[in-house]
Amino acid sequence: MAPPRTYRCESIILSYTPLDEADLLVTMYTRDRGKVRAIGKGARRATSKLMGHLEPLTVVQMSMANGRSMDIISQVEVLQSFSELKGDLDGISKGLYLAELVDGFGAEDSPNPNLYQLMIDTLTVLQADTESDMPLRFFEFHLLQVSGLMPELYHCVECRIELEPDAHRFSPNVGGTLCLECNPEDAHLRPLSLRALKVLRLLDRSGIAAASKLTMDDSLASELKSLLSTTVSYWLGKEIRSNSFLERLHNDSLPEVYN
Amino acid sequence: MTQENISGAAPSLARLVQELNRLPGIGPKSAQRLAYYIIRLPDDEAYALADAVTSVKQNIVFCEECQNLTDASPCQVCSDPRRDQTIICVVEDPLDVLAMERTRSFRGLYHVLHGVISPINGIGPDQLRLKELFSRLDRPEVTEMVVATNPTLEGEATAMYIRRHQGRTDLRVTHLARGLPVGGSLEYTDETTLTRAFQGRQEI
Repeated sequence: MAPPRTYRCESIILSYTPLDEADLLVTMYTRDRGKVRAIGKGARRATSKLMGHLEPLTVVQMSMANGRSMDIISQVEVLQSFSELKGDLDGISKGLYLAELVDGFGAEDSPNPNLYQLMIDTLTVLQADTESDMPLRFFEFHLLQVSGLMPELYHCVECRIELEPDAHRFSPNVGGTLCLECNPEDAHLRPLSLRALKVLRLLDRSGIAAASKLTMDDSLASELKSLLSTTVSYWLGKEIRSNSFLERLHNDSLPEVYN
Repeated sequence: MTQENISGAAPSLARLVQELNRLPGIGPKSAQRLAYYIIRLPDDEAYALADAVTSVKQNIVFCEECQNLTDASPCQVCSDPRRDQTIICVVEDPLDVLAMERTRSFRGLYHVLHGVISPINGIGPDQLRLKELFSRLDRPEVTEMVVATNPTLEGEATAMYIRRHQGRTDLRVTHLARGLPVGGSLEYTDETTLTRAFQGRQEI
C-alpha cells in the first residue's frame, strides 16, 4: 500500500531561510519524526495563512504533504508561541542558542521525543526567568544525556575507580571525569573542581525546575558554562555560533565600546 | 552547472550561462533561457545591460550618512533639505527604503543596517551598520528613531538591541504598528499578531 500523502506532526520551529520569490525553507524539530525540513509555499507574503506561524521558537501542529524532494507545509496551528520569551532580548538569544543545539544534535528520520520535550521544558522555564543561565546548563547537560553522550561523573573513565570527593579532571574526548592518578594524553583535558562536579551530579539527578533555582558564584558559574559548552561543541564538531551573541549580551557595554 | 549540461555550446555562451547560473534563484535551465534571450537581444540592448552591470559595480557606494547604496555620497534623501532631519527610520535593507518611499508617508531620514542580528547564522551587532547609527543618534537635532526592522524574531531582536544600546535618554524610540495586513483574514491570523492588533485598535 502506498504511504499516505499527508501527515500531521507536532513540532517546534528552529529556523528558516528565504527560498525563491516568497517561500520559506523551514527547519523544525518534530516530536515523532526528528528534524524535518519543509517548504512553506508563499509564506513570506503578507496575506499568507502561514504568515506569523513559522517564527522560530514557536510550537505548532502542522499538516504536511509529501513533496518530491521536500515536504510542503499545508496548514499550521500555533500550540505555544512563547510570546513573553520573544519579548525579551535575553530570552530570544537563549532560545536561539537552544534552537542551534537542537538543530545540530537532532537528525532527520531519527525521532527523539526526549530531546523534543527537553527543549519545550527549557523554553518554558526560560520564559519565566530570562535572566537565569541555569536552564541553559540543564539543557546542555541533558542534551548530552538524551543524545547518548552522557559524561561519566561517578567513576574515573580510565581506571574505573569510584571518584573521591575531591578536585578531578574532565575531558569530553575520553567521556567524562578522570581521577588525578590517570594521565592520558588528551588535548581536551581540563581541571574539574569539586564544586563543579557536585553541580553536574545535581543536574544529573534533579528536574529542570529544581536545577533552575540553584544559585552560584561567578567563578563556579563560569567553570560550568565553559565545561558544558565546550563539551557540547566538541560533540557537535563545530563552534556554536549563537554562543558569541550570548556572551556579548552577558558582558555588553556597547555605548562605551563605541565611544 | 556542469560542463555536461552545456556541452556543444560555444565557449563564450557557456561562460555566460555559467555566470548567470551564479545568480540567486537562477537554476541551470533558467540560466540557459536567459543566455539565449540575451543573444537574441538587439546589440544596443545587450550592451546597455552589460554597461549597467559594469556601471553599478564601479559607481555604487555606501552613503556616508544613511549607509544606503547610492551613486554619490551623501545620497539624494540625506542631501535633500526638505526632509525632516529630526527623525530617522532604521531599516534592514536598501529595498526597505524603496518600499517606504513608495508610501510617500514618511519625510524623515533613513538608516540602513544591511541585515539583522542573526545569532544562528553568526551575524552579530558588529556585522551591521550600528556604529554609524549610534553616531548619528548623538546629534541633538534627532528627536525620534523609528525602528522599522521586519516583525520577525531576528528583526525584533535587532530592534530590542538597538533600543537597549542607544545612549540617549531623551530620544523617542518607536517601531511600526503590528496588526492585520490589508487583504488578510482573521481566521488565519496567528495569535501574536491578533493580540497586537487588538492592542493597537483604533476608533472608526
